[in-house]
Amino acid sequence: MPFVSIDVWTIIMQWGNLLILMWLFKKFLFKPVMAILDARNDEIKNIYDEAEAVKKDAEELKNEYDSKLNGARDEAEEIVKFAVKNAKISSDEIISDAQSKAASIVERANEKILIERKKAVNEAKNELSDMALTIAGKVIERQINSYDDKRMIEKFIEELGDVS
Amino acid sequence: MEGPKILFTIPYLNINVTETVVDTWLVMAVITLICIWLTRNLKVVPTTRRQIVAEKLVEMANNLVNNTMGERYKFLTPYIAALFASSIIGSLSSLVGLRPFTADLSTTLSWALLAFIMIQGNNIRLNGIGGWLKGFMEPVPFLLPLNIVSEIASPISMSFRHFGNIAAGMVITSLLYSALAALSRFVIGWIPNEFVASIPIFQLGLPAILSIYFDVFTSFLQAYIISMLTMVFVSGVDPRN
Amino acid sequence: MLEKAIVLAASAVGAGLAMIAGIGPGIGQGYAAGKAAEAVGRQPEAKGDVTSTMLFGCAVAESTGIYGLVVALILLFANPLINLL
Repeated sequence: MPFVSIDVWTIIMQWGNLLILMWLFKKFLFKPVMAILDARNDEIKNIYDEAEAVKKDAEELKNEYDSKLNGARDEAEEIVKFAVKNAKISSDEIISDAQSKAASIVERANEKILIERKKAVNEAKNELSDMALTIAGKVIERQINSYDDKRMIEKFIEELGDVS
Repeated sequence: MEGPKILFTIPYLNINVTETVVDTWLVMAVITLICIWLTRNLKVVPTTRRQIVAEKLVEMANNLVNNTMGERYKFLTPYIAALFASSIIGSLSSLVGLRPFTADLSTTLSWALLAFIMIQGNNIRLNGIGGWLKGFMEPVPFLLPLNIVSEIASPISMSFRHFGNIAAGMVITSLLYSALAALSRFVIGWIPNEFVASIPIFQLGLPAILSIYFDVFTSFLQAYIISMLTMVFVSGVDPRN
Repeated sequence: MLEKAIVLAASAVGAGLAMIAGIGPGIGQGYAAGKAAEAVGRQPEAKGDVTSTMLFGCAVAESTGIYGLVVALILLFANPLINLL
């Protein structure tokens, strides 16, 4: 063949060769590699979707917990408030109870004192009358009619006045 | 300087099978084996460098076609890849001692004619026969012969460009080899031993430097040019672009 | 024989003359490369694009030179004129 030559059969065979090579390329390089690339893209997409879903779940959970936490805080506040109120009520009760008790104790004590004083006064009166009787008997040196004496002494004591 | 040798003739049909075609078969076999080796045992999560290379190659081809022609011409990617690969490996096959089959005008002309058919076919497909014929009348009907000539010139120029570059590289390389052989003969020809005197010592390393330009660089460039021109011309008739 | 020699000699001269076509692409590509260097100087970040565009343009501009080369190759290695004798 000369150096610069055109051969029709060579041209036709080179067409065939190029087209066969194209087919071979398609079959042995592009198809498997594209398949693997698509598979990878799918996988990446899946992973992203999963991550997105997980993130969404986490966010939901977080929101839930947040709301729960807020509710718990409110509840605790309420409980504390309730407890404080209860405590106040009971303390008030206790105080008023104590006050009333104290008042009654004081009253009773006062009464007791009054009674005691009356008792003491009466005793003193009796003693006094007895004393007066003895003194008077000694003074007049005679046994007077006990009835008359007693009357007279009582009158005397009456005249002494009410000590209380 | 010899053209491709006729290796054998298919009997009865009287078809001459030249070195070009046989070399092409060799190159095709090598490319296919490389492809099979690269895509062996692919995994979704790449574990081998092989797979990364295969993916990179596919991605590069896809990107080149997408960027130059647009998404619509994705189906041409294997064709462009085959054209690029056979052009580059065909041109580089001179490095292993084969006759580069791109230094045969028949090869490059067949590729350019295929491109021509694709260009005109795409033009007719998109613009209709009327639009296609009308395209020759533009901008003025007077330019009809010039338009026809320019249409026919594009495959010729494509094929001659590729062929010329590789063939010129081949011619220059062989000229250099013979010059270096003569130089060796001149320098060590005085040695009485005929065998030692005929060793072309200068052919050992020097041509490698020139072959970096004439073989490697030109091969890459021409492979890029022919696939690029095919893409640009085919998508250039698309009125949507 | 003489005719053949004349045709061969003329072919060789013709091949040499055909290679004068190499001037055009030489100038053109040099100009393109100069402009590309300018462009890279102005916009170093676009070096890749500039280079690939320049190579593409150079390869296309080379056509005329390649035509001359092919004519020279035909005259030298596949001389059609010799058969006309």
